[in-house]
Amino acid sequence: MRQIKTVTVLGANGAMGAGSAGVIASFGEAKVYMLARDLGKANEGITKAVKSVRTDTIKTRMIAGTYENDLAKAVSESDWVFELVAESYSVKEAINKEIAKSRKPGTIISTVSSGLSIERLSKSFDEDGQKHYFGTHFFNPPYKMILCELVSHKGSDPQIKKDLGHYLEKTLGRAVVYTNDTPAFAGNRIGFQLMNEIAQLAEKYSDKGGIALMDEIMGGFTGRAMGPLATVDFVGLDVHKAIVDNLYEFTKDGAHETFKLPGYMQKLIDAGNLGAKSGQGLVKRSKTADGKREKYVYNISTGNYDPYPKFDIAFTKEASKKIGESDYAGAMKVIKTASGLEADLCRYFIARYISYSLSIVGEVVENKENADKAMGFGFNWVPASALVDFLGGVGETIQLLEKAKVPVPSELSKADKNKPFYQLKDVLDARALFRA
Amino acid sequence: MSQEVFILGGEQTDFQRNWSKEGKSFMAMLREVVEDSLSKVGIEYAEIKRLNETNRVAVFVGNFDAEQYTTQGHLGAFLTEVNSAFNGVPGARYEAACASGSVALDAASTHLRAGDYDLAIVVGIEVMKTVSSAIGGDFLGTAAYYEKEAKGVEFPFPKLFGKLADVLLERYKLKEDVFMDSLAEISRINYANAKRNPKSQTRSWFMNKEHASARGGENNMSVGGRLCITDCSQVTDGAAVVVLASPTYTAEYSKKRGINQADVPKIKGWGHRVAPITFAGKVAESEGNKYVVPWTKTTVDDAYKRANLSVANIDVFETHDCFTSSEYAAISAFGITEPGKEHEAIQQGVIDFKGKKPINPSGGLIGVGHPVGASGVRMILDLYKQVSNTAGEYQVEGAKNGLMLNIGGSATTNMVFIVGK
Repeated sequence: MRQIKTVTVLGANGAMGAGSAGVIASFGEAKVYMLARDLGKANEGITKAVKSVRTDTIKTRMIAGTYENDLAKAVSESDWVFELVAESYSVKEAINKEIAKSRKPGTIISTVSSGLSIERLSKSFDEDGQKHYFGTHFFNPPYKMILCELVSHKGSDPQIKKDLGHYLEKTLGRAVVYTNDTPAFAGNRIGFQLMNEIAQLAEKYSDKGGIALMDEIMGGFTGRAMGPLATVDFVGLDVHKAIVDNLYEFTKDGAHETFKLPGYMQKLIDAGNLGAKSGQGLVKRSKTADGKREKYVYNISTGNYDPYPKFDIAFTKEASKKIGESDYAGAMKVIKTASGLEADLCRYFIARYISYSLSIVGEVVENKENADKAMGFGFNWVPASALVDFLGGVGETIQLLEKAKVPVPSELSKADKNKPFYQLKDVLDARALFRA
Repeated sequence: MSQEVFILGGEQTDFQRNWSKEGKSFMAMLREVVEDSLSKVGIEYAEIKRLNETNRVAVFVGNFDAEQYTTQGHLGAFLTEVNSAFNGVPGARYEAACASGSVALDAASTHLRAGDYDLAIVVGIEVMKTVSSAIGGDFLGTAAYYEKEAKGVEFPFPKLFGKLADVLLERYKLKEDVFMDSLAEISRINYANAKRNPKSQTRSWFMNKEHASARGGENNMSVGGRLCITDCSQVTDGAAVVVLASPTYTAEYSKKRGINQADVPKIKGWGHRVAPITFAGKVAESEGNKYVVPWTKTTVDDAYKRANLSVANIDVFETHDCFTSSEYAAISAFGITEPGKEHEAIQQGVIDFKGKKPINPSGGLIGVGHPVGASGVRMILDLYKQVSNTAGEYQVEGAKNGLMLNIGGSATTNMVFIVGK
């Protein structure tokens, strides 16, 4: 692989484009062509990039340009062309055509796509281009979320993949997860499976607390910084829909039905209530006249926003308390032994998450460490393998999965019951991901 | 009676963690670091109980200011909350501002030298992210003479070490650009080293020489005269533990594990001196002296003397780079250069990771982070790792002897330990 000294970023004005460009110009010390539809937008991207990495030094290395006037020159000079335009085949393929015209042999091209087929996108290029084509799925915001899924396809060159992975890891400081060209790759496949199934069950239990109840029973004590449905609200219901629709259409595994978008979410999307970015979605925040912050939650049964409820569930309180004392195994024991519908649901979700995370080994990733890394670094969720150990090991976890009636993946059934299951202790201390 | 003091190992927390954000208190941190350390060293609670039956084990906790940061004093008593095996084990908290960890080490090694105990568990701990940086800055001001140097001053310590930079520049008649470039290089090296350390606070942060040199503006603000954000260590939550042992205990311990006792690192020398509390007092006293902080130099010399070693024998240093100016002054105090020539060692790459006298392969306070009361213990843990060849990616090849300098206040309390085999 060529040394990466000059990079073209397409879609440089978006949060992902600007943030990624910031990382490339700072850590990579590369000259970056910041291309957007017009110069104003491109310059906006430069300002955002500087702000994200907090260094003025990259300004001198960033050159604003437009697709119309500067793409050909920028691409012909670049060692890497990173495309972050809108997530659709028609938009991406149109710009790929332009890139292909000016691309010199040996130049890497990659896309940030979180769901499209990398192989199909690679077809815009000649054979050398296809060899050099990859998915480089950064996470938002790129400086803070260091995960990068490096997606290869049938036509990509293994040596170039290896060199690019090395560059992303050693120079850009990314936690690199190698994945196959499968729908949503690793992180989003696992993450959105769980989030969407929780969203489905929020509907089923809408009379018991719905959305707020689900986030309560899958709170920080289960190993995440933000509730799963709060996360959906944060990323946007439209983005959520795009990802789960894609998974529903193109995957046929045992979790197939869990990728079906719940009807109430479609209703919210149709009404333009996309989540935090449009002011309301699953939750709604507002301020009273005297500046007091108020939080509401969408009531699936009535379609109204109700004041966000407080719950009094003994086992979530007890487990949170244990996490606050760094008694992780103790917290898991509380979850394992609690009774009631809420505890049953919590155990089911945890079991499903472990089961599904490990089930993608083989199809999507080569080993469970890649799935663990994706969830730890990309979602700030405790990786499945680490949960297995906190739950008391392989044997206890298999029992939990069996009781929850979710498939026991072969990664678990073939594992040594007497050895720690989590292998990334020195890379990612999972304890830090539990919140009291 | 003066016995040798061995180091069996230890562990530190991941200094990237923000325990307040995690909803976890100092107690959770203490529990994790003690359990991690004992399991790493291979000492079980039953062993603590056994030793305690004959009063052969003690606990020493270094902590600066838990009273203010987390409304809790008496930290020496809290291992009983980690495990009941510590019930009845003697323990106390030791404080000397940023050198709190080292005075805990000093107390522990003094007891071991005297033969009082067989095993000493030394903890350094600080939770700092419980308050805003402005409030924390005021707490840190109590490490200076608060009434005279810190009261009503926003971020007093950067200002004091900014003054140190001014005095160094003036006394050695240095060219300002050369001096500032040297400070930027110190910052660059510490951040670069921290990238190899999986427990460092800044391992995923961006830093290069260009950014460290670009002082001023909103992305690298001045915080104390010439010193900017890139010249400072950052607010950090963290704890570290080392387990020290007597010769008889180390002999048994080594035998059980099939290791050679001669391969277990030990404390070879130490120094402890206290300079005038105010920075103005220090400068006034050192007027006309080649060293701006002469008591720091004396502390290093005391340790060399006790260890019967000189700078020529030291393969790796861990120093107290709370600011780039403090590391700068330490270079001549260690004897790496004459005073006034520190910049030469920096520019020639002497203190770089692959240099002849690497300083802070861990990343130092600037790179690893500076949980105040933990830093001294973290430093000796890093020397242990270097000398026992277990520092992983930040291992200095063939390190036999290491020296650490931990200071409290504006180079007021000076503590040095030399670790070697």
